[in-house]
Amino acid sequence: MEYKIIQKRWINYSISILLALVGIISISVWGLKYGLDFTGGSLLQIKFVNQAPATSEQITSTLAPLDLGVILAQPVAEDEMVLRFKEVDEKTHQQIIATLNAKSANSQTNAKIEESSFTTIGPTISAELKQKTWGAMIIVLLAIILYVAFAFRQVSRPVPSWKYGVAAVIALAHDTLITVGLFSLLGHFAGIEVDSYFVTALLTLLGFSVHDTIVVFDRIRENLKKQLPGTFLEVVNHSVNDTIVRSINTSLTAALVVLALYFFGGASTKNFALAMSFGILIGTYSSIFIASPLVVDWHLWSMKKR
Amino acid sequence: MSWLNNKLGWGLPQFSKINWRLGLDLVGGTHLIYEADTSKISESDKNSSLEGVRDVVERRVNAFGVAEPIVQTQKAGEHWRVIVDLAGIKDVNEAIKQIGETPLLEFKEQGETALTVDQRKEIDTYNLSAETKAKDLLKKVLVPGADFSALAKQYSEDAGSKDTGGDLGFAKKGQFVPEFEKVLFDQLTDGKIYPQLVKTDFGYHIIKRLATKGTGDTLEVNGAHILIKTKSANDYAIGEWRGTNLTGKNLKKALVQFESNTNAPQVSLEFDAEGAKLFAEITTRNVGKPVAIFLDGTPISTPNVEEPITDGKAVISGQFGLTEAKRLAQRLNAGALPVPIKLVSQQTIGASLGAKALQQSIKAGLIGMAIVAVFMLAVYFLPGFLAVLALLIYAAVVLAIFKLSVFTPWPITLTLSGIAGFILSVGMAVDANVLIFERTKEELRRGKPTAIAIDEGFKRAWTSIRDSNISSLITCAVLMWFGSSIIKGFAITLAIGILVSIFSAIFITRQFIRLISNWQWTQHHRLYGVRRKTEQQ
Repeated sequence: MEYKIIQKRWINYSISILLALVGIISISVWGLKYGLDFTGGSLLQIKFVNQAPATSEQITSTLAPLDLGVILAQPVAEDEMVLRFKEVDEKTHQQIIATLNAKSANSQTNAKIEESSFTTIGPTISAELKQKTWGAMIIVLLAIILYVAFAFRQVSRPVPSWKYGVAAVIALAHDTLITVGLFSLLGHFAGIEVDSYFVTALLTLLGFSVHDTIVVFDRIRENLKKQLPGTFLEVVNHSVNDTIVRSINTSLTAALVVLALYFFGGASTKNFALAMSFGILIGTYSSIFIASPLVVDWHLWSMKKR
Repeated sequence: MSWLNNKLGWGLPQFSKINWRLGLDLVGGTHLIYEADTSKISESDKNSSLEGVRDVVERRVNAFGVAEPIVQTQKAGEHWRVIVDLAGIKDVNEAIKQIGETPLLEFKEQGETALTVDQRKEIDTYNLSAETKAKDLLKKVLVPGADFSALAKQYSEDAGSKDTGGDLGFAKKGQFVPEFEKVLFDQLTDGKIYPQLVKTDFGYHIIKRLATKGTGDTLEVNGAHILIKTKSANDYAIGEWRGTNLTGKNLKKALVQFESNTNAPQVSLEFDAEGAKLFAEITTRNVGKPVAIFLDGTPISTPNVEEPITDGKAVISGQFGLTEAKRLAQRLNAGALPVPIKLVSQQTIGASLGAKALQQSIKAGLIGMAIVAVFMLAVYFLPGFLAVLALLIYAAVVLAIFKLSVFTPWPITLTLSGIAGFILSVGMAVDANVLIFERTKEELRRGKPTAIAIDEGFKRAWTSIRDSNISSLITCAVLMWFGSSIIKGFAITLAIGILVSIFSAIFITRQFIRLISNWQWTQHHRLYGVRRKTEQQ
């Protein structure tokens, strides 16, 4: 039995356009919630040792005299709290710890405040990271376009190889847009941030997502060589059906490990794992339901023009 | 399969002796980014002065005893930076303090400022009245029956001996200035007062010899004196230290040693050739005068020069304990920074937080592998089992590469993101197997014999495997270029994982399947996840 994936491609297109629209709207209305490494500033994680944790308000008012700009304090575990404030120098950093301890330390009960981690990032460093991120995105995209065009140089009938490359890249852009859109929504509604790990996930997805698309195109290439009966559309649909199980299975294995990382891994790789697992899913979807239909439509369109 | 056990058997115990190189996000530590202020340095010298900064920072960092400190330079646009990674360091604040501080060692001598006419007049008047005063006093002392010690208590201007009635205690030759010594040792006998004033740099002395003990080399004389001070040009110049050309940059090395009498810690200095020459010149022109050693703008030691020092060695004996002496020596050895640096970013992770992250990542990795193994067994049966074995070997090989890289010039530091990369690569490593097995199943359904189907499966899946992995490797290459250490760690482990996974699928899984496909019982297609019905289609 064959699924009529290509024949019913308007359903696929509608779903994708809908998801992409939601993404575009969310990005343009709410934007992304950038993490510390992109905005600059400080992040201090403290642990309340031998004492009940203070409330966010208490901490904020204790630190108010230190001129730290807007202080955001958020409990992260039973006895830990994350504080965010503007970029500070080492002297101020030490003052903060001293101030917090002056307020709560008690030598009799051994109560004190311990620093679990501290990050402060200056404006030049964060600006640079943003710039580098864009650079990396563009280079990865260009490199993949070139590579896909190269990989399909031998398939030229009835569709020239560069059209496969363009279709693969449109599918990639589709995956990236929808993943970024999701994080824009998550940022607005769940406070999930976009950081270096997220960028890493996104760039890895660019490579990974084209992976599945290549497997499908590879099969189209093979079936075209074999000169299977039927129209181009039928050959493509046949190829997609041939590879659908392996597309799903290869993605599943990768998705399973990143999901394990999401549920069992540390806090700092959570965003990475979330972006990866969603991206893998959407990437698999696009390689089955978007990339190949695009090649077919492009072919049909240019046939009509002739 | 016994060779596999053998392999693992001899492989693992030895590897366990090699330590992982763990990043600071796993063992705790700090990542510091310093920006060098190169505004005053010409464009062509910037590179070398930044290298100089790195060397100095590296030497300072080495003093902390951190296992593998990483100090790198980085140029980003117009920003020149030094990046310091200190994994496993306990006292980050102290480290930051010491990296940034520039110990400035200077040698200064007293300035010979020309005195104003008024000052000269003042000195002359003062000295004249001092002479009169001393002469009057001498008369009083020489009156028979006069109490020398009472007069000393009353009139002497020597703060050190005044209260003891001018008593200077027993002393050997060589302790006093020559004019004084000549009178005390050669001209006087016990109980006698020298009937004239003795003039030295300090002023006018009335000298009395109290007692003698020992003879020859062990001769010691107990003297007493009354001093009426005079002023000299030196009194006006004091406090106006004048810099010399000799600074910490002429220092060859500094060592902690102990003063032989008091056992007090000292820092001995050894100058380079230029420094030795300068130091000889300074000591020659300052015999009898103090030379000050300044550290960070404050004099820490102002010894008097007794004779010219030409061997290029000096000692700082300040008021410091062993710890301070050691630190001073370390800091002097590290030298001064060629350009000032400023801390622009820091990331500090507590050891317990790092340990927790490591534990969680390992757990996530193991669970991930287990899930993948179950999935492969459930979907692909016999080859799935072989793929799981191959996956275990794959993991062992990748981890071995991480460990063994310590011996190469490109050691791999495992960070949190690196472990994430490794975990992801486990998921991707089985991809190649999935592609091969799906293809094999397809060939079996077409009714090909098992051995041929397997061979075809490998052959036909290869182009897909190659093409799809290259796209991921391209991303890794860009990520490595992208720079920040988090991302680099990820890209490196993922790239190694992908390369090994290709090898693993093509060689290891293939060998396994070839091996067993010759056995009778393995010919059943069901073992490959192919149902009989589909087979006959």
